[in-house]
Amino acid sequence: MKRFTAVAGTVLSGLLILWSALPLPAQAQQEPIKIGVIYGLGGAAAPYTKPAITGHELAVDEINAKGGLLGRKLQLVIRDDQSKPDVGIREARDLILKEKVDFLMGVIHSGVALGISEVAKEYKKLYLNTIAKTAALTEEKGHRYVFRSASNTAIEGRAAAILMADKPFKRYAVIGPDYEYGHRMVDDFIGHLKTLKPGVQVVAEAWPKFGERDFTAHVNALLQAKPDMVYSSLWGGDAIAFVKQAKPYGFFTKTQYMNIAAADLDVVVPLGAETPEGIWGSSNYAFYHPDTPANREFVAKYKAKANDLPPAGAFFGYVGTYFLAEAIRKAKSADTEKVIDALEGLTIETPIGPLTMRAYDHQATKGQYWGRLKRVPEFPFPIMGDVQLIGGEKTLRPVDEIKALRGAK
Amino acid sequence: MERRWVVRAVAGAALLAVPLVLPQFYLLLSVEILIMGLFAIGFNVLMGYAGMVSFGHAAFFGVGAYTCGLLLKKTEAPFVVAFLAAPVVAVVVAAVIGYFCVRLTRIYFSMLTLAFSQIVWATAHKWYSLTGGDNGLVGVPVPPWLIGPRTFYGFVAGVSLIVVAVLWRIMEAPFGRTLLAIRENAERAEFVGINVKRTQLTAFALSGAVSGLAGGMFALFTRGAFPEYAFWTKSAEVLIMTLLGGPYVFLGPALGAGILIVLNSVVTSYTEYWPLVLGIILLALIYVFPGGVTRIFLGWRGAGGPAGASRA
Amino acid sequence: MPDLSAFADPGFLAVQCLNGLTQAMFLFLIASGLSLIFGVLGVLNFAHGSLYMLGAYLSYTIASWFVGSPATFWVALVLGSIGVALVGGIIESVFLRPVYRREELEQLLVTYALVLIISDLVKLAWGAENRSGSRPALLAGSVDIAGRDFPTYNLFVLAVGPLVALGLWLLLRRTQFGRLVRAAANDREMVGVVGVNVKGLFTGVFMLGAWLGGLGGGLAAPIGAIFPGMDVEIIVESFIVVVVGGMGSLGGTLLGALIIGQLNAFGILFFPRFAIVFVYVLMAVVLVIRPWGLLGRPVTRG
Repeated sequence: MKRFTAVAGTVLSGLLILWSALPLPAQAQQEPIKIGVIYGLGGAAAPYTKPAITGHELAVDEINAKGGLLGRKLQLVIRDDQSKPDVGIREARDLILKEKVDFLMGVIHSGVALGISEVAKEYKKLYLNTIAKTAALTEEKGHRYVFRSASNTAIEGRAAAILMADKPFKRYAVIGPDYEYGHRMVDDFIGHLKTLKPGVQVVAEAWPKFGERDFTAHVNALLQAKPDMVYSSLWGGDAIAFVKQAKPYGFFTKTQYMNIAAADLDVVVPLGAETPEGIWGSSNYAFYHPDTPANREFVAKYKAKANDLPPAGAFFGYVGTYFLAEAIRKAKSADTEKVIDALEGLTIETPIGPLTMRAYDHQATKGQYWGRLKRVPEFPFPIMGDVQLIGGEKTLRPVDEIKALRGAK
Repeated sequence: MERRWVVRAVAGAALLAVPLVLPQFYLLLSVEILIMGLFAIGFNVLMGYAGMVSFGHAAFFGVGAYTCGLLLKKTEAPFVVAFLAAPVVAVVVAAVIGYFCVRLTRIYFSMLTLAFSQIVWATAHKWYSLTGGDNGLVGVPVPPWLIGPRTFYGFVAGVSLIVVAVLWRIMEAPFGRTLLAIRENAERAEFVGINVKRTQLTAFALSGAVSGLAGGMFALFTRGAFPEYAFWTKSAEVLIMTLLGGPYVFLGPALGAGILIVLNSVVTSYTEYWPLVLGIILLALIYVFPGGVTRIFLGWRGAGGPAGASRA
Repeated sequence: MPDLSAFADPGFLAVQCLNGLTQAMFLFLIASGLSLIFGVLGVLNFAHGSLYMLGAYLSYTIASWFVGSPATFWVALVLGSIGVALVGGIIESVFLRPVYRREELEQLLVTYALVLIISDLVKLAWGAENRSGSRPALLAGSVDIAGRDFPTYNLFVLAVGPLVALGLWLLLRRTQFGRLVRAAANDREMVGVVGVNVKGLFTGVFMLGAWLGGLGGGLAAPIGAIFPGMDVEIIVESFIVVVVGGMGSLGGTLLGALIIGQLNAFGILFFPRFAIVFVYVLMAVVLVIRPWGLLGRPVTRG
């Protein structure tokens, strides 16, 4: 027992001390500005997070090529949170304490985002969330040190409601993955729609578990209720499977269908020619719209780097990095407090036009693109037709409501 | 006899004092190792001593985490109450679940523990108004005196030391011996007059209590509780830690926890393919060093196990 | 309160029942492989989901080599599943054979390690994006059932199930191989003593189980998403089918699959928000009341 303790203790202590003494990678002449980036790199998240990292890298390469920021280069330190909150928290602490990053970015899993937000608050580091959608992050659980450059469940639900407010559909059925994101997307949509168009009713609900393999039972149940329009907050593999399985039931001839993720590249590419035309789909980012020089340039740069078309994830990473970079530039400093002040209310130019970071809740005014899917000869997958951008302040939850939410907690 | 204990105590104290001089990140990593080590030692009461492999111990860990977190966040309960409630609630849950599980053996026992723990997970995941659902219970208010990393480490080390010492006494006492006897041959133990099921249930509850305590500490450590704390992957983690360190040695699982956490931390800073690395380590564990690190590298022949030799 | 007026509509009920049956046949196909391996080899193969996933990826890739031909789907399905059988053979002979004499836990851990390894290898080989296969033209449409459209592909899966069940039954009851397999399931040592090549037999059984899993994956490829991570969900479902029906009993697996299929189909109408918990509650109930499952052999191991 004594020998065991001594040996084990010596070995462990020795390893720990050796490891802490390991030199960090060689520094540039001037210390780089280090940005810690955390994402779930496996499972269902990967089609978003891998391109996001490429987007981050693209932005950093561009900025460094122009001399960096304040004469310093930007450096990314990338970690995998394995979609587990405790791992995410550990990685965030690692990045802050060991790697000594100046800022934190990333995260797709909402639970991880909230966990890391607490770490950021505790260590007073700026955390810019780039993908995770839970509105709670900037609403009831928001604080000075957390920002979001992507949209959130409230924005997306409300944007969808605004889209449907002037349409003739009255009988809605809803389907979503059975976790907080899925529920919030539906609640925010229906809630807002009812204020804009009273008389709308929900005739059926379906809550398959996230990662469900078989949707046929849900398809049949939804059709039975004879809705005019089915609203779906399914995404990724679920969105693909649902469409594939619903089609031969005549689903898309018997009802209209709107799906938040339907126009995302990671959904339309695998579906390809099998995508039903005319379904309402949205995407956070579309490489073909707006067809502006800025967007075309971004697409070209991304293609050169990744040999692929940029999906929404790439845009998230790219824009998030630029929000941070422009704030640093405006603050003329990498000091957290100054950058926070600079970031509040900041407007930046992005491939899709200007985006603003609202000062109160640190939420970007990123809207949502909606269109009706149609096949085109240029691509082997469908794209949105008649694209509208529903965005800006009217999609964000009003500041008063957020104040009330924060006060109530 | 007395001197052995004093030497052990000093060696143990020295070992535990080391992290206090390390930079903060390593200090926090040591906290995590202590918490998971405690979890694994508690788990091993059932696995190494009683020979019952549970696939669902995350349930008790998660219950402990949520109990402590909820009481701190949503009630005015004093810290001591919230903290001690974790093992108390966990022991109750373990007693209930254990009651059904000890009636089964082997793979059926394991599967039932898994089923129950997934039900616990699903409850945490779905009961949004209470637990925050899959967003988790974040912002658990840790009392101000405990926030400093060194104090926190001292707290965790102190609590772990006390619990481990108490557990050690229990396992050295007739209770632990009885468990080993049951593991070797349950029928024979029954013949000798031992109430096998009751002893097993006690072990199950005790194991659950320790796991719940570790869970409570983990909630404090991460300032939150998430459904993932009760998910089967957490149960797999503690099982692997125990096997890696060696289930036939009382402190083996803690060593396994240390190794696994350090490895995970190091490997994930270089690659995203940690599962691949872990899989290879597991295969090595089974083919090359079964019985864990304590058996193969330290030559520690614990109580029980295939050789059944006496302890060093 | 769920809307129960649907229950008055026989057309709806018929289709929903068929949906449950289709799911059941699909689950049976995959779980039978798991059950077979457990019944004969005594190994609970955690990696069965990984074999299913490999089946989906392989058939997808093979199909991409023969784009445009009407036989694509069938060729991919057959070749893909055979490919998985071969992988199964390697797994059994290299990784499992050394641990047959060891404790159950160690065998389970080997399969768990393989799950981790195969999952990352798949990610390395195919990348992390979502993919999906295509139904063959022959099965892409729908038929009319009680005034509703029902996918032809589902009818196909509905037919495959009993065919496989029949095939397995014939194999086990009417062939030499089957006789040996049943003998080995009863008494492994005796079979070895009388001179049978037990090693080869075991490899053969594992390959058959793997083939079934891979076939399931190939069937799933056109109607869902293919991504690393699809191994986890199916293994949980298969476990539950096998636990409910009885580990090692093919008849039990069929019964278990039927129950789970209909439970999923109709459960969501009563308790739409509790899909994730059904199956675990069922598993717990079965294990508490009748641990060896509905048609399994009463437990003698212990």
